[in-house]
Amino acid sequence: MPKSILIDVSKCHGCRGCQVACKNWNDLEATLTQFEGSYENPTRLSAQTWTRVRFIEQTDGGLRFLFRKDTCKHCTDASCMAVCPANAIYRKDKTGAVIINRDECIGCKNCVTACPYQIPQYSKTAGTVAKCHLCNEGDRDRIGNGLQPACVSSCPTGALIFGDRAELLNDAKARVNHLARQGTEAYVYGEKELSGLNVFYILDEPSETYGLPAKPTFTDNDVFWLAKWANILFGTGLLTAIPYYLFFNSEEEPQDLEADDEESNSSEKEVS
Amino acid sequence: MKVDRRTFLKLTGAAATTTTFAGLGFNVSQAKNQAGELKTVDATATTTTCHYCSVACGIIVHSSDNKVIYTEGDPENPNNRGALCSKGSAMRQWTDNEQRVTKVKYRAPGSTDWEEKSWDWALDKIAQRVKDTRDQTFVEEEDGITVNRTEGIASIGSAVLENEACYLLVKMMRAMGLVNIEHHARI
Repeated sequence: MPKSILIDVSKCHGCRGCQVACKNWNDLEATLTQFEGSYENPTRLSAQTWTRVRFIEQTDGGLRFLFRKDTCKHCTDASCMAVCPANAIYRKDKTGAVIINRDECIGCKNCVTACPYQIPQYSKTAGTVAKCHLCNEGDRDRIGNGLQPACVSSCPTGALIFGDRAELLNDAKARVNHLARQGTEAYVYGEKELSGLNVFYILDEPSETYGLPAKPTFTDNDVFWLAKWANILFGTGLLTAIPYYLFFNSEEEPQDLEADDEESNSSEKEVS
Repeated sequence: MKVDRRTFLKLTGAAATTTTFAGLGFNVSQAKNQAGELKTVDATATTTTCHYCSVACGIIVHSSDNKVIYTEGDPENPNNRGALCSKGSAMRQWTDNEQRVTKVKYRAPGSTDWEEKSWDWALDKIAQRVKDTRDQTFVEEEDGITVNRTEGIASIGSAVLENEACYLLVKMMRAMGLVNIEHHARI
């Protein structure tokens, strides 16, 4: 039974409690940000920011502020998983969470390119890619221990709900009907997209307004098969070539090095 | 160890074959699907109150070895029932923060620099200033009516104060004759 988070944008008031709770639980450092013309902060996801609230300002016909929590959708058709050449991205059987094993990640950034929502983020310092793991990994496994994800448990307005996907879908449809009776046209985003998103939305505007593609595309492994094999061939080549060189060119190598050293030493003296 | 070219190529070939197929025999999905032990499993949980606004949300502080490792909303607190906004969620940085001021800082009148002072010095200085200001600005009578009030001092309370602290604070301020008593959440 896949677990899901339902994000109801009609209830979100942009307090960003989920953002900070995520950083707190996952021990992610704060990032230095700058004002870029929007109240969004941080203005983009990073390896240290796995979720953030997007602020969309509408000025046509009176001012309107739209909020959307942006995070990994844990898609059923996960492009990141399909294109990973190191098989470092796996899915939890029980919950459906898509998780990057950062010990196995080689930092090739295929997933960064392939994700239709631009979620995985590369960290230069770690050399690996990081993203939300639905609080379902290692000693941060809140779901496995019967708790809600950190973002959901912090949400003051009930805009984030965690539960079984099938039940949440029913709740979402009931909420859409409720909103329709109040005069707001809303719909569920993520029921069918990419065979079903595990983190899905109730939206009250076209999905593009909220920065979500109306028809997200699944990037298959096929696109990256060449890169994958190039990687393996190149790696195997290096593994053979380096020891080969060390074993069979050992007689010439030290002499060359000494000669280089002497040259560099003499040139330094000249300079001084 | 003497290795000729033929043996070397044999060995690397064998090694490459082994590494290529080594992963096939093991089923790692079981290990990956096991629930890990939470980072807060051995931590001490202490309840406290958020001080940022007048709602005063309940917070559970998880600490281990005198270090705060996680803070979350208290589900048993009727004010917030486990929820927290971004300010409350950031409570952890109040202890774990290199920018936090931990010593008394004093800027003398007219000066542009901050000096470090001791708590004893600061408390004596505050007491002296309160006494002086009260003596100077105490009004006993206005338009023939006895008022007995201190107009030169104001007090700002905080949402993090509990009932008992508020009681004592107001008692003390009233005893000194203060009339400008406010609360930060109302400003």
